[in-house]
Amino acid sequence: MTSAMDQKSTQNKDAEKVIEKELSFGPVHPALIEPYRIRLFVNDEIVEDCEININMAYRGIEKLFDGLPVEKALLIAERVCGICSHVHAWNAVRVIEGGLGIHVPERADYIRVLTHEFQRITSHLIFFGHAFEVVGHETFAMRSFLLRESFMDLLQYLGGNRVMPSVPIIGGIRPRADLTEALKKVILERCDQFEVKYADYVRRAVEDPVVMSRLEGIGFMTKDEAIKWHATGPTGRASGWDYDLRKTMKEYKPFDFNVIVLPEGDTKTRVVARALEVLECLKIIRQAVKNLPEGPVANRDWTAKEMKYTEAYDETYRGELMHSYSLDQQGLVRNYKIRTPTITNLAAMEQACIGDHVTEAILTIASCDPCLTCCTRTELVDNQTKRSRFMTEYEIVNKYGWRR
Amino acid sequence: MTLKSTSRKNAIHVMLFYSGGCNGCDIEVVNALLSPRYDLEQYGILLTWNPREADVLIVSGVVTWQMVEPLKKIYSLIPDPKAVLAVGACAVNGNVYKNLVGDIGENKEIWAPVETVIPVDVKVPGCAPRPEDIIAGAVKGLPKLMGAP
Repeated sequence: MTSAMDQKSTQNKDAEKVIEKELSFGPVHPALIEPYRIRLFVNDEIVEDCEININMAYRGIEKLFDGLPVEKALLIAERVCGICSHVHAWNAVRVIEGGLGIHVPERADYIRVLTHEFQRITSHLIFFGHAFEVVGHETFAMRSFLLRESFMDLLQYLGGNRVMPSVPIIGGIRPRADLTEALKKVILERCDQFEVKYADYVRRAVEDPVVMSRLEGIGFMTKDEAIKWHATGPTGRASGWDYDLRKTMKEYKPFDFNVIVLPEGDTKTRVVARALEVLECLKIIRQAVKNLPEGPVANRDWTAKEMKYTEAYDETYRGELMHSYSLDQQGLVRNYKIRTPTITNLAAMEQACIGDHVTEAILTIASCDPCLTCCTRTELVDNQTKRSRFMTEYEIVNKYGWRR
Repeated sequence: MTLKSTSRKNAIHVMLFYSGGCNGCDIEVVNALLSPRYDLEQYGILLTWNPREADVLIVSGVVTWQMVEPLKKIYSLIPDPKAVLAVGACAVNGNVYKNLVGDIGENKEIWAPVETVIPVDVKVPGCAPRPEDIIAGAVKGLPKLMGAP
């Protein structure tokens, strides 16, 4: 993340040039809802360098998993993030299912995919709300919050909670989240109503010259840069990088959908890529409801036993997510590791906002849909004082040369 | 009801302080306060980001080490009378981050509940609490503001 800054600062030292003016935001700031710190090094209102510090939400989650029974670990896994709660729970389940070869009924897979796409829509609509608030267009922000409510309702009908639906369990889904005929009808109805309203909303947003003039032509990121920083998800796909894990996942085999890849790579493209992706989500939801196979929803025939370190990858709403852990002889979780997409996407955005006007920097950073609650996972323990503290990305890079 | 409290009733300013939860409660608070469906603004309750202007402080999530000092500072900046809402299971009792631990024994990375950092007046439980509950909690905090001289 700050390795770029590291390189840059050494370059600057060589040139004996010091950037003096610094704009600093956060961690608690009106422009940032989540706590993070942005340092913009500016030269006459042009951003010369950028540093983002995202350690404020460190909760020591990965350590909490150690020694827990794997069913209990799912509860924490789901609470890693409040926006993408389903995918964290799902991916934690996929690790043990892959590692121990637990069979998952087809019906359960369909409902997991369905919930995944529900949350993708709500997540993208939060992004529009946030992005348009940063732009200063309250009306569009409000409209996206209103549109989002119909899918929050569906999540509540399905799982019983708006934010934490807790759909997946090991070997299937919770029987409570099984789709009834009545719910199927409601979902299809809501999708139809949503599509009409959403198409109108997107058309208004994209055709609005005032809003688009704020977004167009800033925060450029080329395809090579996206690959270099591993900016996955819609952020990378908006730079022309055709990379979507859903195309390789076996759960998504039965579904027919397109991957939205746009070549331009500026802030507007990243917004438009997400806007188009929502329509693909609707496609998947309709297919999942219409082709839902009959059968059981959970396979209870499994026991937790020793498992080697296993990884599972999933395409979340922001990019590529990795969960991995191993199980010891008693079936307790060891060495839990989570790598979330935001950490690499923000690194790319640090680069993308260089060279732009200072007013556009926060907009560019927001355009990768940062969700910081699940990011940093490093601590430094002082043996003498027995106090632990957080390592900044800068320290990590300096000490371990990470991501070089 | 004094003139002061009558006029105060129409302009309750709420500040949201994100202290390090999972983001779920924050979105629900913003939803409850701003979004057209729940719309707390119609009752004269407004969202602000300026502590000197705020009457009610909403704290969501466990308090991480880096947010302890900012939270204390922001609490001291809010003028009296003030009410504090702890929204969500994390702010009320620490939720999974405090209570569901394996070998580590006790999670020392977080301060939970929020009461250990600043005094709390209203607690809204739930993971995540529904927007209706948050609105009910905000209304429960009003008497403290109204009854003040």
